[in-house]
Amino acid sequence: MHLKKLPAFIGLPVFVLGVSLAGCSTVAPPKDSIAAAELAIRGATKSKAPEYSPLELRMATDKLDAAKRAMDKKEYTEARRLAEEALVDAQAAEAKAASEDASRAASDLRQSLETLRREAQRASQGN
Amino acid sequence: MNRLNVLGSAALLTFIFGCATVPSALEQARQNYQRMQADPQITDNAPVAAYEASQTMKRADQTWKESGDEAEATHLAYLTDKRIQIARENARQKVAETEAQKLKQEREKIVLETRTREAERAKQLAESRANEAQAAQREAQARAQETQEAQKRAEAASDRARELEKQFAELKAKQTERGFELTLSDVLFDFDKASLKPGSSRSLANVARFLTENPDRMITIEGYTDNRGSDAYNRDLSQKRADAVRDFLVQNGISADRISARGLGEDYPVASNDTESGRQQNRRVQIIIMNDDGRRARQY
Repeated sequence: MHLKKLPAFIGLPVFVLGVSLAGCSTVAPPKDSIAAAELAIRGATKSKAPEYSPLELRMATDKLDAAKRAMDKKEYTEARRLAEEALVDAQAAEAKAASEDASRAASDLRQSLETLRREAQRASQGN
Repeated sequence: MNRLNVLGSAALLTFIFGCATVPSALEQARQNYQRMQADPQITDNAPVAAYEASQTMKRADQTWKESGDEAEATHLAYLTDKRIQIARENARQKVAETEAQKLKQEREKIVLETRTREAERAKQLAESRANEAQAAQREAQARAQETQEAQKRAEAASDRARELEKQFAELKAKQTERGFELTLSDVLFDFDKASLKPGSSRSLANVARFLTENPDRMITIEGYTDNRGSDAYNRDLSQKRADAVRDFLVQNGISADRISARGLGEDYPVASNDTESGRQQNRRVQIIIMNDDGRRARQY
């Protein structure tokens, strides 16, 4: 065999490359990843994300759409990556919106407390 | 053979090149990851998200190390970055919520303090109003009492005035501008005598009683004579007659300070000196009870 005559330092990479190419061709459709991304986007849409982080949410839905298109073209690896990214994008959008919401709530409280303190001080000065 | 060699060399080159140059996205993710690990605010407040980020980071490193798949490594680096972002946001949310919790407690404290103070102030106000009302009531009572007392005093005064009037009537006193003037018609003196005739004491006793009952009153006693004898003699005699009446009153307990006695001689006769009965009437003593306000008798 010709292959047997090949040095090991050439044969191994060829083998690895072959395995990875074979892997590519045997990748299953990433249905779970797409379902997970859809769930995450649905959750984020119900959160404060449409209000506080609409761009991030939009990015997630765009990626999900792209993932579905890749699925149609049977580009499963691309579809999986897009779906996985759509998932974290949606989660990031939701997390950003939640922290923004909490920050605003704290800020409002700080302000109302300041007002209250001033009023209390004025009241204690007997006005 | 030649074709295979070329193919193998290309694969080798790709492998070695990929190994040597870490994808920039992965390098960036590693830096972000290290920064996250060094931030206790994130690791303390968002441990779950931080753990997920670290798992993804490991997968990215491992994938790159084992397969050299740049596309997958870059993809996993992206996921790592996003998970780090999520951890950072979760931590920020936790910090804000903790602060909000503290602010709420503080606000409740202030509200409570304010309410307590307001209640205290309202109580004080109510108390001071109650005190004011009480004071007003006391004042009103005092005023009512005063009015009552004034009324009593007025009644007593009018009683006294009526009594006085009655007494004056008993004394047959005559209201004049000097005061009440009474002529003791039965206080009679013999000619050239200054001693009270017996029988005079009854009407003088009335005067003494009146003065005892009205201790504020002052009196003036005026003695008169008829026209026989010299003026100087008659003046002296009339003084003696007035003194005799004063002495009687003093003996009956009236203070001498309240009595002034003077002799006016034969002046101001009340009857004709031509007849004995007229002269008898002129030999008289008049008592003037001075007005209560202390106005003195007009001097003659």
